Amino acid sequence: MSVIIELKDYSWKYLNTQQPALDKINLQIEEGMFIGIIGPNGSGKTTLAYSMNGLIPGQYNGIKNGEVVVYGREVEQYGHGQLQKIAGMVFSDPEAQFTAMTVEDELVFGLENLGMSIPEIRERLEWVTELTGLEKMLLKPPYELSGGQKQRVALAAVLAMTPKILILDEPTTMLDPVSRRRVFDVLAKLKNEQHNTIIVIEHNLENLIPLADRMILLSNNKLILEDETHQFFQNMELLTKVGIYPPGALRFFYELKKAGYTSNTLPVTLPEASKQLKQLFG
Amino acid sequence: MTNINPYIQVNKLDFTYPDGTKALDDINVLIQIGEFIALIGQNGSGKTTLSKCLNGLYKPTSGEVLVESLNSKNTPIVQMVRRVGYVFQNPDHQLFNNNCWDEIAYGPRNIQLSEEEVKIRVDEAAHVVGLPEIFYEEHPFFLSKGLRQRVAIASILALRPQVIIVDEPTTGQDSRQSIEIMEFLKDLNEKHGHTIIIITHDMYIVAQYARRVILMSEGRILADGLTSDVFSQPDVLQKTFLEPPQITQLAQSAQNLGFNPGTLTVDEMVNQFDALKIK
Repeated sequence: MSVIIELKDYSWKYLNTQQPALDKINLQIEEGMFIGIIGPNGSGKTTLAYSMNGLIPGQYNGIKNGEVVVYGREVEQYGHGQLQKIAGMVFSDPEAQFTAMTVEDELVFGLENLGMSIPEIRERLEWVTELTGLEKMLLKPPYELSGGQKQRVALAAVLAMTPKILILDEPTTMLDPVSRRRVFDVLAKLKNEQHNTIIVIEHNLENLIPLADRMILLSNNKLILEDETHQFFQNMELLTKVGIYPPGALRFFYELKKAGYTSNTLPVTLPEASKQLKQLFG
Repeated sequence: MTNINPYIQVNKLDFTYPDGTKALDDINVLIQIGEFIALIGQNGSGKTTLSKCLNGLYKPTSGEVLVESLNSKNTPIVQMVRRVGYVFQNPDHQLFNNNCWDEIAYGPRNIQLSEEEVKIRVDEAAHVVGLPEIFYEEHPFFLSKGLRQRVAIASILALRPQVIIVDEPTTGQDSRQSIEIMEFLKDLNEKHGHTIIIITHDMYIVAQYARRVILMSEGRILADGLTSDVFSQPDVLQKTFLEPPQITQLAQSAQNLGFNPGTLTVDEMVNQFDALKIK
């Protein structure tokens, strides 16, 4: 696999702030990976996301040190809007992103801007509508949709541009459990069928863990842990110390391990935990 | 519960919005002083509508809501909000004053208390939520979301309601902030004697803090009981696309080994493991 995003000693300080929002970050992301980014609020997660699609430094004032390289080029070397076509971004508040009066217009807006032909646009629209399950909503105004439907429209609008990299900043924070599940179902489909590189900032670990190949932990504006998902969650002491509360099954097995009942690798999903628990009663 | 008469009685409550949408259908609930209740269900199931009926913002289409025996239908809203306070999901939808002091004082002033009494109420509420005096002159929007939420709760507390309904107290908060807010609500419940009702999608929070769960679906109450009892019925939850917390699901998957399907916390699970292993 090839490295498509690389951060080398990267620091960013917003104008008029004392502390850097990101401090000497070194990170490589390989093509096709599903990456989960976690950390307390204010630890630099959103700044990291913005730095990878050029919103930083493009739209913000601040001081940059080090390098952010995407597909072999430093982010500053991309022309206006070029990097955003490669790395699409979905925000936690989808309404911030809507401009059109119907879902369909919202979805084709970007494509028309690219100067695509009508048959091409039609094909792309059908593909993305089916992928995100928005068939019945195309003629509705976005503001009449539920929060979960809005988030799928936002996701679809970004997907329509066929970005190779998809960055999602807390996509399910405002959603109820059903809508949250549906957004993660779409992400699972993208991972398995479209092979996009997907980077998700998310507090809800139970949905994130089964999909994530690798995990990144930010704390106090530094990257303090980066590893394959199973390995990552073996560091329970560190995670708890910075205020991350992993899902119940993981915390339960961590207690068992501390008490000497097991020396196995801690299970990170419910099915794994369930299997290990049965084995302990052999 | 020492009270024989419930503080809130909801009898055969129906509520239909002016556009004809029926949001509540035959709701019957009794709430005692001192309870800690979680109101759960999908968006659109009627949770917020029910809350607004409890504090008199909405009047029943039919049926009745009695708070301290006052019928919400003919009790002025000013009297209702002194008994049942509702904290919005997004504090930014609620906060509108230019500094925290005015924000918290707005309610007491609105019910026409004397400025002297208003000051007492503000100090008291700010103290309970842990808002230091140095923030009194601060604009709410310059505070962190956690502090804004506290200002929002303080502005409700200043009316000294017995019941406090908090809509989605932990949305958008990280784990540490969520626990901080919930521990604060727990204090209001245990140390200050307030009845707490939370509306939430976070089943971990429900399991950890609520003693009673009311599960709503399509404007009706689907289940109402002890948290462990409601969570032991995964089929009922599934009807509304909810899942019990992961630790409860793990216990349920190991029920044949002797684990209690109503397990709510990691500690409970560890204790059961110890006991089962010794056996």
